[in-house]
Amino acid sequence: MIQLEGLTKRYGDRTAVDGLTFTVEPGRVTGFLGPNGAGKSTTMRMILGLDRPDEGRVRVNGRDYVDAPLPMREVGALLDARAVHGRRTARNHLLWLAHSNAIPGKRVDEVLHLVGLGSVTRKRSGTFSLGMSQRLGIAAALLGDSKVLLFDEPVNGLDPEGIKWIRELMRGLADDGRTVLVSSHLMSEMALTADHLVVIGKGKLIADVEMREFVRHSSGVLVRAEDQGLLTRRLTEAGACVEPGAEGALVVTGLEAKEIGRLATEARVVLSELTPQRLSLEEAYMNLTRDSLEFQAVVA
Amino acid sequence: MRATIADTFRSEWTKFRTIPSNISTMLTAVVLMVGLGTVTAYRAGEGYQAAASRAFDATYISMYGGFLFAEIAVGALGVLVMTSEYVTGMIRTSLTVVPRRGRLLAAKVGLFGGIALVAGEVASFASFLLGQAAIGAAGAPTATLGQPGVLRAVAGMGLIWGLVGLVGVALGCLLRSTMMAVTVLVAVNFLIPIIGPRLLPESAGEVLMTYWPISAGLQVATTVQNADRLTPWAGLGLMAAFTAVLLAMAFALFYSRDA
Ligand SMILES: Nc1ncnc2c1ncn2[C@@H]1O[C@H](COP(=O)(O)OP(=O)(O)OP(=O)(O)O)[C@@H](O)[C@H]1O
Ligand SMILES: [Mg+2]
Repeated sequence: MIQLEGLTKRYGDRTAVDGLTFTVEPGRVTGFLGPNGAGKSTTMRMILGLDRPDEGRVRVNGRDYVDAPLPMREVGALLDARAVHGRRTARNHLLWLAHSNAIPGKRVDEVLHLVGLGSVTRKRSGTFSLGMSQRLGIAAALLGDSKVLLFDEPVNGLDPEGIKWIRELMRGLADDGRTVLVSSHLMSEMALTADHLVVIGKGKLIADVEMREFVRHSSGVLVRAEDQGLLTRRLTEAGACVEPGAEGALVVTGLEAKEIGRLATEARVVLSELTPQRLSLEEAYMNLTRDSLEFQAVVA
Repeated sequence: MRATIADTFRSEWTKFRTIPSNISTMLTAVVLMVGLGTVTAYRAGEGYQAAASRAFDATYISMYGGFLFAEIAVGALGVLVMTSEYVTGMIRTSLTVVPRRGRLLAAKVGLFGGIALVAGEVASFASFLLGQAAIGAAGAPTATLGQPGVLRAVAGMGLIWGLVGLVGVALGCLLRSTMMAVTVLVAVNFLIPIIGPRLLPESAGEVLMTYWPISAGLQVATTVQNADRLTPWAGLGLMAAFTAVLLAMAFALFYSRDA
């Protein structure tokens, strides 16, 4: 479990992470989303104590990460797959990591095979492709058999087979009861992997929702009616959310099409269109982050 | 179970030995010291004049000529122990698996200081022994380890290697850039003490030659006391204190700054 409380980080006069409070629960994959520069990597570095927060606090499994008696048992992290010394072999890279936490050498060979690098263990990591580096980074994250896993954009550079593999890997880790936090800017990727979503924009929390909930909110019903004012009132009274859509249509969320039709009949409003529609998750996500940026601009 | 500094130390040793050029650079430093030391010693032996025999320090001469070059290699290697982590970005991985920063830096300092010391002792004794043979071959009087102060001077030269290595580690940690740290290192250990006194007025040059850290430290490797200079142990103490201050700054900065 990872708990963030009012976590804030400034670089000069730029606030990269702004009062973030959320909890990453064990037993599920939490997708960490946000546009470029939203503060995802910075947040991950603060979780690991690499960057010092200006305000707030973060606890990993109930304590400061620095106090972990066996750090690699607590957290395995992939921050930047290219952050290796290119002249060291893959195996030796994992070996120094293993030695730092008294992990036996045979575990190194185990994870190398697990990530599919069994045939290049004695090759210098500088000769690796981005995808192979990514696999080496994942091997390093798995080395300690940790309770918490952090992956910063792990699918970067992976081929389709690799993407499918890491998706299943993350699912498996969560099903083991581990805490898995994985960042991405691709909603489509998260839709297939994550159980829970944390979305940030400009360092601020935008959404902290179950994937299921997010999917529900991303579907709506397109409605065209003669007396839009009256219908809007009725639908709102019934608990729906009504927003103007394209070409004078209404987009209604929170009510089924059948329900909307019934309310319209009762109110004697003539409908010319009633179309259930499903926004792609990507669109829903874009709406969410775009709103936050507009909101930011108004405040500033 | 809990990870200890012994694990960190072992990890740092694995890190060091698995980059092939680290070991070969250290061996090159030893070869430079012994090779150039022997050549310089032979030349000095040829130039020996009985009239100035009291000032002829066969022990120091057999080591100093090679040391000037070897110390650059040792110091630069110390720099790289730190800067290679920053250049590659590996420092964040290191601090993820060893989040206690003091422990990580202490392991690096201890490991590299130890390696430089051991290599330095080997180089100093080899350089001394071969150097004496060269001086003898050139027809000048030689020193033996049994003579007063000779063992201290030769072993002391190994200590200087250790300190030079630590200065490199400290500069690498403080500056994080290989180029900048090596430049400062060359200035501090080579250019300022050697060229400085020739550019400065005589009194200032004297102060430099007496109190500049590496110049003071090298007094430990002499067997003929120059009345204007510090005594061997005082000189070494000054250089050790300078190194300790640099290291303290490195620890403080390493602890507080973002990785
Ligand atoms: N060390 C640093 N010094 C100065 N500014 C920084 C530093 N690290 C991050 N920033 C700034 O903080 C903001 C957040 O960056 P961060 O890398 O955390 O975003 P991100 O969400 O990971 O983006 P991406 O999706 O592109 O990886 C950016 O504006 C970035 O320029
Ligand atoms: Mg990032």
